[in-house]
Amino acid sequence: MSQMDGRSFSAAQDFLLGAKKFWTTQMYPLLRQQDQALATTGAGTVQTRMQKSNLYPFYAWMERHLQRMKYAGRYGLAPWHDTQREELEQQLSVVLIDTVAGFEMPPYYRSFDVHQHPGGLMGDSLAGFVYERGARSTTPLDKHFDLHHRFTNLIGQWMQPQRILDLGCGFGKSTRPFAQTFAQAQLTATDLSMPCLKLARYLDSKEHISHVKYLQADACASGLPGASHDLVTSTMLLHELPLAHLRELFVQAYNLLAPGGWTVHLDFLPQVQPGADEFTQFIHAGHSVRNNEPYMQSLAAFDLTSHLQGLGFSDISIEPFAENDLALQADYPFWRFPWTVVKARKPLSTTRQQT
Amino acid sequence: MKPNPAAEQVFFNDPAIDRLMGLTMALATEVYVLRDRLRALENSLVQQGTMDAKSLQSEISPEELALHQADRDAFVAHLLSPLLGQESSLGMKP
Repeated sequence: MSQMDGRSFSAAQDFLLGAKKFWTTQMYPLLRQQDQALATTGAGTVQTRMQKSNLYPFYAWMERHLQRMKYAGRYGLAPWHDTQREELEQQLSVVLIDTVAGFEMPPYYRSFDVHQHPGGLMGDSLAGFVYERGARSTTPLDKHFDLHHRFTNLIGQWMQPQRILDLGCGFGKSTRPFAQTFAQAQLTATDLSMPCLKLARYLDSKEHISHVKYLQADACASGLPGASHDLVTSTMLLHELPLAHLRELFVQAYNLLAPGGWTVHLDFLPQVQPGADEFTQFIHAGHSVRNNEPYMQSLAAFDLTSHLQGLGFSDISIEPFAENDLALQADYPFWRFPWTVVKARKPLSTTRQQT
Repeated sequence: MKPNPAAEQVFFNDPAIDRLMGLTMALATEVYVLRDRLRALENSLVQQGTMDAKSLQSEISPEELALHQADRDAFVAHLLSPLLGQESSLGMKP
């Protein structure tokens, strides 16, 4: 029993998930209640109120360190998968993924360990497995995979895309619902991380999905032909891009879309959520720092609408997205990601010159 | 351990509390792992008929409590004696 085995790993991870649930459903609502009570007395900004709070340091500590323990603790995802290295590497050994010509790894991608994942998504051949397992328990209240089907179902309400490009596809968690919802469509999916792409292909084969073309490519410089898609999409990618890359992604999206095509992205914007206030934005900014996701804050501050208008997009909308049936109630009590759908259309007749 | 790791984020006014929180949560994880293991063992023993579930769930008899009293007292002393703030070995006088 001195070595970690499957039972101790799963028990420890279950304990951490239970602690995250307590944080989500007990600590966060109480912190919000306390802040609202103080705010009504005119007690300064949310920052000054939190500095005086006895609860906030525990809230912040738990957010930071439950994630650390989940990934890098004694029973963490990284050491657990390391115990099965040979078997897992064998599973991916026959998977081949193409890299687009001229591909270069952007320096920012390896400059920090995103999500507190040791080595990030490129640091290890097992990074895709570690990320996939971690994604199963990102939020303790929702089945995290359901939201992808909600997203594809939403898109299906106004279009039936035939040529889809899924940017930043990771291990295919966002891609497979597109492959299932729009089964007749040509589907290309790109990511920077080769370990994730290989796992995506491997998991596709488990679900008998064979028509997705996975490519290692930078979403901001994909090298794919212009006007070749009627849907360019991403899920949880925008907040992982530095501002210059974020701007360029939409330039690329415009060029990659055929006239009349849509670019649709599922991501996080606190300010558009029902009942959003300075507390909402403070908590989101804190999450960005504590979870090693620094570009969440630059995305939240960026004027997406003006940028999209400037590029020539029409029909622009930025709307909150419900990951469960109750999530968009203004008095929803629990911590949640500020899910948002960013949507815009390339006009049928374009006067803007392709860049 | 990474060479020259960066300082971890600090959330409490006294960074010692951040570190003690880490220690406490690590221990809590170990306790939960042991609880799970013990539950699995108990279930297995009950299913095999080696152990009676009712006797396991009922109050501990006075005889059994008495049998383990010394162990309990030693455990409590080990846990709580640091609260007394007394040195265990003769130290140098300031």
